[in-house]
Amino acid sequence: MEYRFLPKKGIAPFVTGLLKDFKVYGPVEKDGFPMYGEITSPKDIHLSHAPTHLSPKQFLFPPKETILRFKNGAKPALEPVIEAHNQALFGIHSCDIHAIKLLDRVFSYGPRDVNYLKRRDKTVIIGIDCVPDKYCFCKSVNTMTVDSGFDLFLHDVGSGFVVEVGTQTGKNLLYKNAKTKKATMKEIKKIKEIRDKKAEMFVTKLNAEASTLPLIYSGSYNSPVWEKIGKICYGCGSCNNVCPTCYCFDVRDEIKTNLTEGERFRVWDACTLEDFAKVAGGHNFRKTRAERLRHRFNRKFQYLADKFGGLFCVGCGRCIRTCLVNINIAEVTNELIEEANKDRS
Amino acid sequence: MKNRHKPKVAFFSFTCCEGCQLQVLSCEDELPDVLSLVDIVNFREAIDEKRDDYDIAFIEGSISRQHEINEIKKIREKAKVVVALGACSATGGLNCLKNRFPMEEVQRVVYGDKAKKYKHLDTIPARPIDAVIPVDYYIHGCPITKSEFLYVLKSLLLGKKPEIPNYPVCVDCKMEGNICVFEKGMTCVGPVTRAGCSAICVTYGCICWGCRGLIDNPNLEAHEETLKRYGLTTEGVLRSFDLYGGWRSR
Repeated sequence: MEYRFLPKKGIAPFVTGLLKDFKVYGPVEKDGFPMYGEITSPKDIHLSHAPTHLSPKQFLFPPKETILRFKNGAKPALEPVIEAHNQALFGIHSCDIHAIKLLDRVFSYGPRDVNYLKRRDKTVIIGIDCVPDKYCFCKSVNTMTVDSGFDLFLHDVGSGFVVEVGTQTGKNLLYKNAKTKKATMKEIKKIKEIRDKKAEMFVTKLNAEASTLPLIYSGSYNSPVWEKIGKICYGCGSCNNVCPTCYCFDVRDEIKTNLTEGERFRVWDACTLEDFAKVAGGHNFRKTRAERLRHRFNRKFQYLADKFGGLFCVGCGRCIRTCLVNINIAEVTNELIEEANKDRS
Repeated sequence: MKNRHKPKVAFFSFTCCEGCQLQVLSCEDELPDVLSLVDIVNFREAIDEKRDDYDIAFIEGSISRQHEINEIKKIREKAKVVVALGACSATGGLNCLKNRFPMEEVQRVVYGDKAKKYKHLDTIPARPIDAVIPVDYYIHGCPITKSEFLYVLKSLLLGKKPEIPNYPVCVDCKMEGNICVFEKGMTCVGPVTRAGCSAICVTYGCICWGCRGLIDNPNLEAHEETLKRYGLTTEGVLRSFDLYGGWRSR
């Protein structure tokens, strides 16, 4: 592992260099809140270390994306559409890098999702250390640090950034666009000091080891907690849409007014919405909000963990912040942990 | 499509500002294509011609007078398909605000003390058109969005059932990358309101007023609690729900 030292004033030229080869997306401020957005100049970057309201999945798996163009009539024609451009995701937090690694696995599983994977191929990821807010609980799900899945990772050590080189691509970009020097042992040790301090900062925590959560969830199907939160849930889909690992989509067609040409596109879908599990004939196999929430929580902590071998909750806390009725995935999980402990004793 | 029978389409207007018809007319890029697919036989805001043989009737406006009830029933008898066009027609819309007052008072405020002498100034509580006749499809919004009007028309021409979103505006807000109105210290009725507008009001810095009506199964109790938690009084909550939902709250 290579560590380089980049002075703070080196960030602007580095980003200017990136802009020559990539569309750059990074942390910006929107209405006074941290968000990811397109960076057209280093001035746009707002390097607060607070979590953003929406996750960076939007740049790999856009909310709406055309996947096919078609033409009806005497000579029908089909043309697949794969939109991908060179892009750099700048200032990505470790939870979100973990999330992208999970999405990589999901979209390569079974029939490969060429739209996602092509875009992913053309993406470089530059991570950055962050400071937890009151909703973050990455430490409880082992995503507070990350050792792969990025091309470069910036550790703010006060005097400047220690840049952790993750890939050869990252190294080339760094050498091309920034004047760095070899980081000293003292500077590298500072990363750990800061990390140790961060570990003490979490307000939101889970009260069980991450590895035990799939088992705890598997025993919680009939817990009263689902009815309790189902009663106050809107079924608005916000928790899904802000989640960095929710990847469900719907596919629809849109035809032009000439009724012969059109596009097929996919849009984000959300399992907490009423019509998500509605099938032909109007039947709905998850009619109630309680059933839909139980499904979503189980996807994060059990079903996908069984399938892919890792939790699909990365502890970013976005679903807690976005929920207007304060359904808190960490509190709910802690209630289930408590129920499981009671059952055992 | 050339040899096919061109469906005849009519537009009708009841109590409203006629802004939704104007939205139809402003589909300028698509209108030539639309006219090659359908014959428009009745459209007061656009053409002089008035024929009574139509297949599809787009009806704008709410029903707020006795004679409108008779008129709309005649339209229903003639049309094979009736589509409610816009908030007034689909949910009753802003017009239903008057239902909070006695009809005599409404009449007096608008037309003065002598109003009740004149039969042609009669008024009844405003209502959506489906309170009077069966409606096949709904295009929501105040005003409607052009793209949704075109989508519904195209679906009908293709013999497909138009899929109108049954999820709340929160979905559109997230897809547009908006900061939540509640985070910004304001309140809205987006969490219980039918989406499909690309959250245009919030995207441009306003709040969601609920013009597209409620989703099929809104959690109104939850939203009442939320609005109160964000500082609204009971009266304030009712006002939020009533702006576009007056008919429903009766």
